[in-house]
Amino acid sequence: MSELQKIVLAEDNSLLSSLLKFRLEKEGYKLLIADNGKKAIELIEEHKPELILTDIMMPFISGLEVISHVRYKLNMLTPIIVFSAAGQEEIVLKAFNLGATDFMSKPFSPNELVIRIKRLLR
Amino acid sequence: MNNEQSFFEYLQNSPPIIELVWLMISIFLLSIFISIIYLKYLRSHLRNNERIRGTYQMKYELNLITYLYSGNEDQEISPQQQIIINKLKKDLSDPFKRSIIVLTLLKLKNEISGELDESIQKLYFQTGLINFAISKLRSKKWYVVAKGVRELTQFHIKEVHDEVITLINHPKNEVRKEMQLYLVNLFSFKGLDFLDLLQTPLSEWDQIQLLEVLQRFDDQQVFDIKPWLKSSNDTVVIFALKLADIYIQFQAKEDLIELLAHKNEKIRIELLNVLGNLNIIVAKSIVMSNFSECSQEEQIAFFKMMEKMPESDDEPFLLEYIHHENFEIKLSALKNLKMINSSTFNIHKHLGTDPDFIRIVEFLEHN
Repeated sequence: MSELQKIVLAEDNSLLSSLLKFRLEKEGYKLLIADNGKKAIELIEEHKPELILTDIMMPFISGLEVISHVRYKLNMLTPIIVFSAAGQEEIVLKAFNLGATDFMSKPFSPNELVIRIKRLLR
Repeated sequence: MNNEQSFFEYLQNSPPIIELVWLMISIFLLSIFISIIYLKYLRSHLRNNERIRGTYQMKYELNLITYLYSGNEDQEISPQQQIIINKLKKDLSDPFKRSIIVLTLLKLKNEISGELDESIQKLYFQTGLINFAISKLRSKKWYVVAKGVRELTQFHIKEVHDEVITLINHPKNEVRKEMQLYLVNLFSFKGLDFLDLLQTPLSEWDQIQLLEVLQRFDDQQVFDIKPWLKSSNDTVVIFALKLADIYIQFQAKEDLIELLAHKNEKIRIELLNVLGNLNIIVAKSIVMSNFSECSQEEQIAFFKMMEKMPESDDEPFLLEYIHHENFEIKLSALKNLKMINSSTFNIHKHLGTDPDFIRIVEFLEHN
């Protein structure tokens, strides 16, 4: 039996995290949740996930710092999808410059997220 | 015992002022003690409240996720969803629980779109939460009304438009602001129709908030601003001028020019800025013909407007003002002159002895 593909989700909205966990686990992924950037980095280092989902604005360590840590400290090529809010266009550009793979603007459709994840993990 | 006795004896033998000081110290210490007890009680009460809130929040979050993923395509509402609706309905009678349910729905509604967002909307109707929000509109307390309108905005309830619009001239600014945001958030530029009826002032902050909402819409088709330019409410006219400027309403040119004769100086000054941005050149000759009767603020605004649309025909007019006593007018006149005819500027730059004039010329030559 093949091992489940792991996804780390860094998101401080507990309800959104639970919703995505429910949805993505139904699709056959193992979701590891962090409610701040610091915890996300710990999970990434420990589990070496196949994909990272991160919100930009988070307590302690922001999404940008998570991307930077993954790309430049851990030297990982893991795809990273960034969640942004309206009006954060400049920060999204910074995220791409740091090495983000894709972004979704909130509010977003979980179904669309699943499609993007499947495409990236194909 | 002896100490206590001697203290009371000391008090009895003390002058009244000392007795008063001791009395005040006692009252002060007592009030500190009572405050400490009260704060400790308040802290434990708030912590307790927070803990209960957290427990209910977790419960409702779980209910919501189960609701969202237990639907099926055959039925509008699955039996499992109906169970959750009934559970939530039971809790709605308690305002504390109701507020947590509303917050839980909003917590997710602001983050997701598509089918799940529609399901949350459906749940808001099916549980009857919408009726509580509508009933808030009839409250005698203004803050309850404002909260009701805000909730209806957050849940995008367009159906209550006719009830919300009745608050248009509510005595409290907070209520009016929520009403305006409701209309613009839900009906975009069409929502601005409330400006036709607005009699109360539209503050600068209200205007900024409305513009901020409007710029989020993809369809940037502004409705006819002409009636608002003619409004008897001066703040509506100023807002219409902002709309004309931001959304380049050149088609309202005639109505904008008419406003040059408006009785409110603030409007006339704002208008000059807009006319300059829209490059309505014909306005220049109208103002020039009446220039001496304008206030100094207007004159400065007019020169700034001229900087935006320089023409060689302006030269004789500008030459009249290059030695004006007002620094800003002098600066603008010289700047304009340099822009439209540098040789005339070079001739006149030596004709001034006023230190400000010399400083301005030096500045313009190096910039």
